[in-house]
Amino acid sequence: MSRDNGELEELIKRLLADPDLREHPLNFALGQLWFQYRELLNRMERITRMSDAYQSMARQRELSLAERFDKQLRQLEKVARISDRYQHMMRELNIALKEAATHDPLTALANRRPLIERLKAEMERSERLGHSFCVAMLDIDRFKRINDGHGHDVGDTVLIETARVMEAEVREYDLCGRWGGEEFLIILPESTLALADDIVRRVRGCISQLKVRVGDEVLSITVSAGLAQYRGDGESYSELLNRADAALLQAKRDGRDSQQLAV
Amino acid sequence: MSNFSIPGSQSTPAIDGDWDHGTLSMQGDSYPENSYELFQQVFSWVERFLLEAGRPLTLELRLLYLNTSSIKAMMDILDLLEEAHHDGKPVAVNWRYDPRNERVAELAEEFKEDCTFPFAIVALDSAASAS
Repeated sequence: MSRDNGELEELIKRLLADPDLREHPLNFALGQLWFQYRELLNRMERITRMSDAYQSMARQRELSLAERFDKQLRQLEKVARISDRYQHMMRELNIALKEAATHDPLTALANRRPLIERLKAEMERSERLGHSFCVAMLDIDRFKRINDGHGHDVGDTVLIETARVMEAEVREYDLCGRWGGEEFLIILPESTLALADDIVRRVRGCISQLKVRVGDEVLSITVSAGLAQYRGDGESYSELLNRADAALLQAKRDGRDSQQLAV
Repeated sequence: MSNFSIPGSQSTPAIDGDWDHGTLSMQGDSYPENSYELFQQVFSWVERFLLEAGRPLTLELRLLYLNTSSIKAMMDILDLLEEAHHDGKPVAVNWRYDPRNERVAELAEEFKEDCTFPFAIVALDSAASAS
């Protein structure tokens, strides 16, 4: 086809160039037709070129859009990943803060805050179900003498060791905490005074077995305790603790290393 | 010369742009109500500095917590620096963290990942971090 075209074009060019045919009546018309044909061909080529250019431009645009989309997507994924990690960090910090707010840093026992919360909960339970619970206030005997005689480091060790034994010897559902200084509180749910008395005696027994070494010396530790059973009838937790405290004072007056039940 | 300073608050970092020294420092937590508004100013300052100053730019960061939109804003700023770096402009980031919170360093590593310019993650000594 294109070869035929080529041959035809060659033939027409030859005919138009032939001087013998210059005066032929069809010569002028053929010349005009030839000229228009060339024009049309040129225009078509130009249109094709432009159309191709537009197409390649659109393609480029599409490519760069896809690239930008991919980049945005990658960035979004990264933002989400980093954000997740920040949230994780905050959660861990929260847990650490809560631990710090509710526990004594030296002994790792509960501090007053959870102790009081638990006391209130037990009081409510007791009022509702009629079950009895007890508290025991314990105090390390002659702690000041240990601190003054051997230094605060030894005093701290005594506190830590006493706390460790106490926590190990109470029942799983009892709560023991550091009330302050060398004073500890044990909350004993579901217990009569007689049962609490036995448990505290066992705890004190184990503490008295403790041996804290200071150089060549071995320190023995004893604790005194006062116990009180919740009375109900609108007794406040501070009244309950006051009775336990009074019993503890009585135990101290009795010569220490002993325990007393509050009336 | 154009310095720029935004005092920090509980939810926004303290931001200081020092045109003469070529430093931009940001310090603190960032969970602003409108982080676009806050970081747009930072972004513009960095953009202008890179365009006009003709000097090295260093970001001094001591950031702790960033909310999601702040993370996005930081990445946009780091992208600016990356572009400048490709254009042969000297840029750098120093991200300082309290060694008691290693997680901040791990997060800084995440930000660093796609950056090819100098990006240092430096533990503060404990005396400085206590202040």
